Amino acid sequence: MTTPVLALKDVSKSFGMTKALSGMSITLFPGEVHAIVGENGAGKSTMIKIMTGVHQPTTGSLEVDGKPLSLSGTQAARVAGIAAIYQEPMVFPDLDVAENIFISATDLGLVQNRVRLRTRARALIDRIGMSLDVDRIAAGLTLAEQQAVEIARALSQDVRVLIMDEPTASLSAHEAGELRRVARKLASQGVAVVYISHRLEEIFEVADRVTVIRDGMHISTRPVGEVTPDSLIADMVGREVGNYFKKAPSHATPEVILKVTDLACEDIFRGVSFDLHKGEVLCMAGLIGARRTDVALSLFGIRPATAGTVSYKGTQVRYTSPAQAIAAGIAYVSEDRRKLGLAMPMPIRSNITLATLASILSPAGIIDRRREREIAEAYRKRLNIRTPNVDLAVGMLSGGNQQKVMLAKWLELKPDLLIFDEPTRGIDVGAKAEVHDLIRAFVAQGGSAIVISSDLPEVLAMGDRILVMREGRQMGIIDHKDATQESVMRLALGQFEGAA
Amino acid sequence: MGWIDRISPQTLRILALLAVLALTVLFFASQIENYFNARLFNRVSSSVAIMALIACAQTLVILTRNIDLSIGSVVGFTAFATGSLVTNNPEINPLLLAAYAMVVGAGFGVVNGLLVAYARVPSIIVTLATMAIFRSLLVEYSDAKSITSDALPKWLVDFPNVPLFTIAGVELRAAFVTSLIIVLAVHIALSRLRPARKLFAVGSNPEAAEMAGINQKAVIFAAFVAAGALAGLGGFMFLARFGNITVVAGLGFELKSVAAAVVGGVAINGGSGSVIGALIGAILVDMIDTSLVRWELVSEFWREAVLGLLILTAVAVDAILMRRLIALRVRREKARKEAAK
Repeated sequence: MTTPVLALKDVSKSFGMTKALSGMSITLFPGEVHAIVGENGAGKSTMIKIMTGVHQPTTGSLEVDGKPLSLSGTQAARVAGIAAIYQEPMVFPDLDVAENIFISATDLGLVQNRVRLRTRARALIDRIGMSLDVDRIAAGLTLAEQQAVEIARALSQDVRVLIMDEPTASLSAHEAGELRRVARKLASQGVAVVYISHRLEEIFEVADRVTVIRDGMHISTRPVGEVTPDSLIADMVGREVGNYFKKAPSHATPEVILKVTDLACEDIFRGVSFDLHKGEVLCMAGLIGARRTDVALSLFGIRPATAGTVSYKGTQVRYTSPAQAIAAGIAYVSEDRRKLGLAMPMPIRSNITLATLASILSPAGIIDRRREREIAEAYRKRLNIRTPNVDLAVGMLSGGNQQKVMLAKWLELKPDLLIFDEPTRGIDVGAKAEVHDLIRAFVAQGGSAIVISSDLPEVLAMGDRILVMREGRQMGIIDHKDATQESVMRLALGQFEGAA
Repeated sequence: MGWIDRISPQTLRILALLAVLALTVLFFASQIENYFNARLFNRVSSSVAIMALIACAQTLVILTRNIDLSIGSVVGFTAFATGSLVTNNPEINPLLLAAYAMVVGAGFGVVNGLLVAYARVPSIIVTLATMAIFRSLLVEYSDAKSITSDALPKWLVDFPNVPLFTIAGVELRAAFVTSLIIVLAVHIALSRLRPARKLFAVGSNPEAAEMAGINQKAVIFAAFVAAGALAGLGGFMFLARFGNITVVAGLGFELKSVAAAVVGGVAINGGSGSVIGALIGAILVDMIDTSLVRWELVSEFWREAVLGLLILTAVAVDAILMRRLIALRVRREKARKEAAK
């Protein structure tokens, strides 16, 4: 048997209290395409970052060519012949294709020889089997072309392990097919290709072996001939059921508050249709690239839909700005706390009242500090925000408590419809349960909620109904009575009962 | 593929700048009597001899997505230090003296570079602080005394004014020619030397640079040191031209150098621009500055405002132009692909 070019041995990685990987082992052989599948948050990104030297394992080790090696940084990984390309390629927009490919080359001498640079760039592009003018400035390249540049760059550095992280997620079907051919071609040239994808059919086309990881652990590694979509799905979701997983009784009433018909936005998503009842929790499930957030942003008026209708409280509406949606009683709690949610250096109380400033102004237009404090204190008690006082900067709190502050901000608006986007991502189990209780309390009092979540147990625990999306299409709506992790995952992966 | 797909944004920028320069000259020629003559060239070229070097230095730093506000203080300090060295050692070799200026300037660059690249303090803060600190060092070092031109050797005082060639009263003077040669050398280095590409890479997409294994810290550090050395040479030129050096030497050069670079098409967010652009930017800024003095319609108080407007216009035009060009290319590319199907 050949020596594996790269192996992870019992690698664990923790970030603070969170364990991203535990006891992960994986072996890569030259000339194979090794697919890795797992839910969002299963630990794929962390594993890639360890392979490429971005992170160092907390415990465990790496072996290159059967010899232990510690990758102190990305440069060390490159020297060992390990490179990665991502869904969003890393190119230098101001440089041309040839310069982009050879930006970190060391064997081209001090003086740049354009002719030689071009010739060598062309040779690499040819090796990939794509047509691309090496003199073009990178700023105008399509995503697929940028990926080609990245692959060529990796090849120029004698790559032996090429990690492709969801490379086809944003590509057209034709481009994706071309990229899979590139992956096979590289493998036939002796490169070990790690191929990460949510498209199962793609894996059966491109991979030799497939590894399933879940919750930071290695579940299985098998030749692709020995697995079926169903067996992969079973491996991906087969976790033990936690305590917070109990489905609470529904508060849904017959009254429809939101009726969405055939909603579409450019070529981002289309065919989204659902009713949302007063008191109902509708969960949106799907994998990365399912475009659930885009649907939410469109309902919220940030990126207005280009086709279809939305009827809210019985009247047809089309919001073109968040201000209109907020005025109508719709709030959207972003998945990105840092960027779109909270003003981190500002105190808790100011964050909570940020969206409702007008209500705490004195007649003279000055902020009523006492009123602000009262409101903040009320939420601190109600949501159990763990902080010595509400004057603390939000950035000082733990992730879970930050999330609660953000929820408080939007609850204070007293909305009729709340859209939660990944409300529990990156927070601990205790805080998760509290957020779930909060959403339930909100709908029990007559609100309606849409919860976008990639966490399957959460989806099953929270959703009165579950809308599953995949690559911009609505795959179906499952009633909670009929929902299982497998049935949701099957829709999210585009696999239907009996189809293999 | 037509020229629109071929021409590099850099070349386009420089062509546009040259056009603006020509228009400016034509405009003032129509407004000011006896405007376009040899004296104008001689005057502008003398002051550009200094500013070209400073703008070139600033460009190196801006390319990496940083800024050097201490550059004026570095010019002032090196001018004084070089002046006092030559005052005490009148026999010193001219090249050695210039090298001394560069080493002193580079020393300041090392301080800036260490703080920005390795201590990770934002460059605007570091150099705002070092601008004041270096200036105070000058005050301390000079003991509030001045260098005077009569204490300087004759060759040094003559250096800026010696005409190498004279064509119809237009003098190509030694200092100006020296500056041009240095700017050209830096330009060639930036466009032809492989390590220089890293400068653009770091400014263009820092994250990608990190992923591509480029040592960002080293690149940014090197940019500051090189800028310091060029600013030191600028200090040498400053000494030669003015002779009298006080503690306010080079005051305001930091902003003028940024203006020249930005007007010359160097993107303030790094990653794109050229020192040739910065050179033309320096000429344009100086030309307008000099010409406004002679234009009766504009009062002295408005000169700064006109300069400010020029900077805003340059940046706006640049942004619009580049966005259009890229959009146009993407459209043409799509159309070609459609046609190919």
